[in-house]
Amino acid sequence: MSLRFNRRSLLRGVLGGGAVALGIPTLDLFLDGHGQAWADGARLPVRFGTYFWGLGLTDTPAGGTRWVPKTTGPGYEITPELEALRPLRHKVSVLSGFRVIGDGRPNIVHWTGHASILSGVAPAVNNRMDAPSFDTRIADAIGGGTRFKVLDASASGKVVSYSTRTGAAFATPETTPLSLYTRLFGPGFQDPNNADWKPDPSIMLQQSVLSAVGDQRQALMASVGRADQQKLDQYFTAVREMENQLALGLERPEKCESCVVPGAPKSSIKGASVDVVNANTKAMARLLAMALACNQSRVFNFVHTPGASETYMAGASKIYHQITHDEPTDTRLGYQVETSRLAEQVMQGLGDFLAELDAIKEGDGTLLDRSLIMAFSDTGYAKIHSIENIPIFLAGGAGGRHKAGQHIAGKGDAVTRASLTAQMIAGAPAGEFGVGGMRTSRPIIELMA
Amino acid sequence: MSALRRLLLLAAASLAAPAPAMAAWTRAFAIEWYEPAMYYGAQSGVTEPGTDCPAGTNPEPDWIKVLTEAGYTREQALWLRNPANPTRSPVHGQNQMAFRGAGRANVYIDPTSTPDGGLVGVTGTIGEGLDLDGDPNTGFVGPAGERGVDNAFYRTLGCWKTFRGPPRLSSGALQNNDAMRDGAWTVVVVVSGRGDDPMNDDDVTVGFYPSGDKLVKDAMGGVAADYTFRIRPDRKLEALFKARSVNGRIQSSRAEEEVWLRDPGAARDLQLLKARIDLSLKPDGSLSGYVGGYRPWKPVYDGYVRARGPVIEALTWVRLPDVFYALRRNADYSPTGPTGEKTHISFALRVDAVPAFVVPPDAKGTARPISYKKQAPPSGQPDSTADRLPFNVVDGIVIPRGAKAVSQPDSALLPPSTTGAGGAQ
Amino acid sequence: MRRFATIAGSAALATAIVLSAGIAVQAAWADPPQSTAGAEQIVAIRRLTESQYRHAIADAFGADVRIEGRFEPERREAGLLAIGSAQLSITPAGFEQYFRLADLIAGQVTAPERRARLAACQPAAETARDDACARQIVSRVGEALFRRPLTEAESAARVQTAAAGAEHTGDFYAGVALALKSLLVAPEFLFRMERAEPDPAAPGQYRLTGSTKAERLSFLFWDAPPDAELRRAAASGELHTAQGLRRQLARLAASPRLQQGGRAFFTDMLQLEHFDGLTKDSKAYPKFNQALADSAREQTLRTTVDMLFVQKRDYRELFTSNSTFINRHLAALYRVPFNSKGDWAAFTFPKDAERSGIITEATFLSLFAHPAASSPTRRGVKLHEIFMCEPTPDPPADVDFSKVQALETGTVRTRLLAHMENEGCAACHRVSDPVGLALEHFDGVGQRRTLENGQRIDVEAEINGVKFSAAPGLGLYLRQQQKIPACLVRNVYGYGVGRAPDERDEDYLADQTEAFASDGYRVPHMMVRIASSPEFFKVKLPARAKPATKVAAAATHEGGLQ
Repeated sequence: MSLRFNRRSLLRGVLGGGAVALGIPTLDLFLDGHGQAWADGARLPVRFGTYFWGLGLTDTPAGGTRWVPKTTGPGYEITPELEALRPLRHKVSVLSGFRVIGDGRPNIVHWTGHASILSGVAPAVNNRMDAPSFDTRIADAIGGGTRFKVLDASASGKVVSYSTRTGAAFATPETTPLSLYTRLFGPGFQDPNNADWKPDPSIMLQQSVLSAVGDQRQALMASVGRADQQKLDQYFTAVREMENQLALGLERPEKCESCVVPGAPKSSIKGASVDVVNANTKAMARLLAMALACNQSRVFNFVHTPGASETYMAGASKIYHQITHDEPTDTRLGYQVETSRLAEQVMQGLGDFLAELDAIKEGDGTLLDRSLIMAFSDTGYAKIHSIENIPIFLAGGAGGRHKAGQHIAGKGDAVTRASLTAQMIAGAPAGEFGVGGMRTSRPIIELMA
Repeated sequence: MSALRRLLLLAAASLAAPAPAMAAWTRAFAIEWYEPAMYYGAQSGVTEPGTDCPAGTNPEPDWIKVLTEAGYTREQALWLRNPANPTRSPVHGQNQMAFRGAGRANVYIDPTSTPDGGLVGVTGTIGEGLDLDGDPNTGFVGPAGERGVDNAFYRTLGCWKTFRGPPRLSSGALQNNDAMRDGAWTVVVVVSGRGDDPMNDDDVTVGFYPSGDKLVKDAMGGVAADYTFRIRPDRKLEALFKARSVNGRIQSSRAEEEVWLRDPGAARDLQLLKARIDLSLKPDGSLSGYVGGYRPWKPVYDGYVRARGPVIEALTWVRLPDVFYALRRNADYSPTGPTGEKTHISFALRVDAVPAFVVPPDAKGTARPISYKKQAPPSGQPDSTADRLPFNVVDGIVIPRGAKAVSQPDSALLPPSTTGAGGAQ
Repeated sequence: MRRFATIAGSAALATAIVLSAGIAVQAAWADPPQSTAGAEQIVAIRRLTESQYRHAIADAFGADVRIEGRFEPERREAGLLAIGSAQLSITPAGFEQYFRLADLIAGQVTAPERRARLAACQPAAETARDDACARQIVSRVGEALFRRPLTEAESAARVQTAAAGAEHTGDFYAGVALALKSLLVAPEFLFRMERAEPDPAAPGQYRLTGSTKAERLSFLFWDAPPDAELRRAAASGELHTAQGLRRQLARLAASPRLQQGGRAFFTDMLQLEHFDGLTKDSKAYPKFNQALADSAREQTLRTTVDMLFVQKRDYRELFTSNSTFINRHLAALYRVPFNSKGDWAAFTFPKDAERSGIITEATFLSLFAHPAASSPTRRGVKLHEIFMCEPTPDPPADVDFSKVQALETGTVRTRLLAHMENEGCAACHRVSDPVGLALEHFDGVGQRRTLENGQRIDVEAEINGVKFSAAPGLGLYLRQQQKIPACLVRNVYGYGVGRAPDERDEDYLADQTEAFASDGYRVPHMMVRIASSPEFFKVKLPARAKPATKVAAAATHEGGLQ
């Protein structure tokens, strides 16, 4: 062992084969007194998920609504179609009044809405997006170092995911609780609480990137004036923080106290009726939540029901999609009664989903408190495939970064503001998002802590 | 030279070289909303009884009954309507709905293979539109009391859910205009006159043209005014009217023999014979009113078939063959004379347009209301909506490309549990 | 598991190579020379702006590299972000962004379809390290990114990173990606390190190094790092000769990239960053949206660059010309037809449109207004600040704005009069408001109007006894203000040298302004004159730091367990 014992020589030793022996002492050197700050939770990675359901929520052409709260800001009232969110209202922000601005591109029904939210641009053709979906940016930013960079699941039996890196090829989701379970906890599952943990060597390579940078420090520092020295000092402090962040990845992870490997679910009933979809949603939510708690993944995409949702009330002869179109507005009540009833059922899926994340304790709070879930749909008023007032929810505290529990009225702003906000809160390197009329560099700052 | 021949030559000359002298004034507009003029006679809602439809909107058919009457067993009918039936597409409906004619004929392409179910039409006396036949004793009375409003299209379909509702609130109009406002197509209007005062001018010309430039929504969600639209010359879609304006109301000074517009409904192309306009310049700069004439009724029916019969039937509460029978029954015009087959039906559109700039196809200067047909590319424009229908519609139903639209064998008409191993999977 | 096996299997080899590379590296690691008078030293550190970063990446790797990330906010000092950038460093959050951006870029440029562009060499095997080829790539890319040849230590460190990466992953290009990433997050890339060296022609004096001169020139003229030819001229010492400098300046000014430089300069001077986050009340201004904001910004840059850098017209016409470029969105805003089949078209406003140059474009009129109303005061303040280099002091803290903000009655002029009753306010408003009031025929997004709340808008104004009317009158008034070209000269100089001019620069700036005037106010010529003057490369030695405790601490940290 060299007497000149610095990061580089350590790295050399590590890559040279001594990884296990040297991994831990390295950290003490790197933490540099910052170790406490890192471990206190503020810097623990946020988990991020998308939750999609089809057919929006109920508006009326004359301007009525069954879901938009009257007041904005914190403490919004629970409207009929938000009933399922009541138990978690202080952890869920409601975003209304955001719309797709297509710059003249036609509204491709049951596609343009969520394609725009995810890719930032109104798509040219059906079933393709003109840009990657933004969940992939978040996965790139925070999904590393876990077994699954991103997990995809669909609850209605349909093989559908809206996550894409190319715009043309979409992720393949697990479609039953059992297949999701097998993927997560079947062969290949590494129990984080298991004894034979090994550090990820790719982190050391990232350290070598910084190591070369740090080497220049002394030479630079010696040849600058006082003011510039401060600037460089700030820069190198930033480099060191990054090193610390990487070093944390080499540290044996804290025991995942909440990680309890679940038993295999029974093989489920296949079906698209809303009771079956909601039961699948609940079962899959429990599995996804445990996958997050066991640090198997930090990012997921979940589809409750696809764009033109074909779910239905068990025993009925009409599917939800048809009902949104064919049911007239009840004159006395002022809305589509059956449509709204189905919307409430569909929202129950979201309520149950979030409740599963909230049921897992982590630190002082819950898994939901350390996550950000962006839930959204394909349409606003589904009867006419409206791409205005598309309902969007941001749920979970994101480790304190999301000021949850508010109603934000978008007043016709582009849906991409919500997408940008989610990316920033979740920690993706996004300064702006969207194209043309939907390009924005303005996140919803009211929601950002 | 016979008088008739002289007249024809004159007409031909005016068609070939209609260019009016420099217009003394020109106004241009983009249509931000248009829909069939269907007078609504109830207070609110879309199903309630009213003076127009005393029994309210036509109710949803009992599809089980429709199918059993067409020869399916009750068990088969229930399974065909069951959402869990894999042959019932959540997006395109149940294809088997087509095969309920005599001998399992496809009723969408062969509507007379099934009996007329009797679509209930309008029985009220008030109607909107234009006096097309010049006879004050035929047709409806207008909302303002004008007589002779010819709109048999309204009489036929005004109680159908697609069309019923207050202005700008019927489901068909909402859906179609939403698509237009999101950029699916654009219709522009150019108005010019030879006098000094647009409000009162004896010689006004009005032209309707397609444009390839999309409508733009403003921050309030409405269609933004003052945008520029370039006329896209089209071999078919163009409508020119001679008119006069009195206190800002621009009315046809003669019937136009034949004009074509982009239909705001399923038919897409709208031919109007004996066409007329009644449009008003509004104080806020916009333009509103009616465009009407006799339209061929068969393309109306065909449009709904092409829009996917099972989808239209399920969503709009109608048996499509009933639409066919009703239109045929109420058709009121024959281009070949009073004794000819009534292939056309009186019709009017309600039009709202915002101020815009309209420029000719070469983008130079300001467009005038003349014919631009000769500048159209020979093969016509590609169907701008083609890319919006990524599925393959044959005979009114969606089937895989290359397949035939045929009735399912009986074995597929029952759930797998009752048909055993040979059932549909 | 296979990966671990590979690492273990290659351990012996890796160690051997590391040891052999260690000799060269060791030398570079030796303690830095004590800074003494006479050595090369850094005289300024300027953080790359976002657009400079983007241009640098495009120059080094191709314009098709995607750059998606958040850049740290910039700061305006003495009227310019370029001067503020010399005050800024990088925060931990900002570095995180650069680190991820570097990943994204390195991943793209080492992807199979474009790796051939990195260098002429091919690795012996794509599955193993190849230090010679890695060195070629590192030194070629490194020189483009660092804007000077790498030192041996700088390149050896990256070659080693590449080697370790290749060993670990079994992929030569994965190793290269790590090395490139290391270059992309280096301070020498992210900051412009301006260096001075003893001047051989004047003992005891310093001059900027050739590569620092090259940087100043190319960032001023092109908003981009020096190209190969300029780097060559820097390395050969040509830039230190008057003739060599002249030759390069002629080349820089003749290049089409001059327009890119002009765009960057005016983006900075005109404060176009205010478009980020600009919001308008959608009820008051329904036509205003993101597409319109983008269009307005582009209109201003296109018009300005075309007039000053393509047509090389008199700078003062910027305030009087009614020729511009518009697209369909702007045509709707200005309520004129868009007579073009293209996306943009040249357009000349008719006289009665009252458009008079840059102060009547949607950019100026909407940026410097309220969300739901115009603001003569803001427009006046910004006109003085941006074009005359005359900032206005902040308003007193105890102002009652209620009368000014009662938008539903009267015109702005009547509302502002109430304000003038307060003498504390009046001193500034007497300067700012007249020019703003002359622009009142344009609302808060730049649409023309003649009435406000039903009352005729009065656009007469008077400053220092000079009376004028409406925007064209104001434009002619501004055209005669000597402060305006003087302010441009000051800004170009401050932008180029990254430092706010002070009183010692006044004579120089006055001379330059005079030369600008006698040359017909042609901006590119003025830039060349400034860049060829000794003042442009003047060295201002910074206050030296004592051997600071921070440095000492850092050394301990580095030396760790010695």
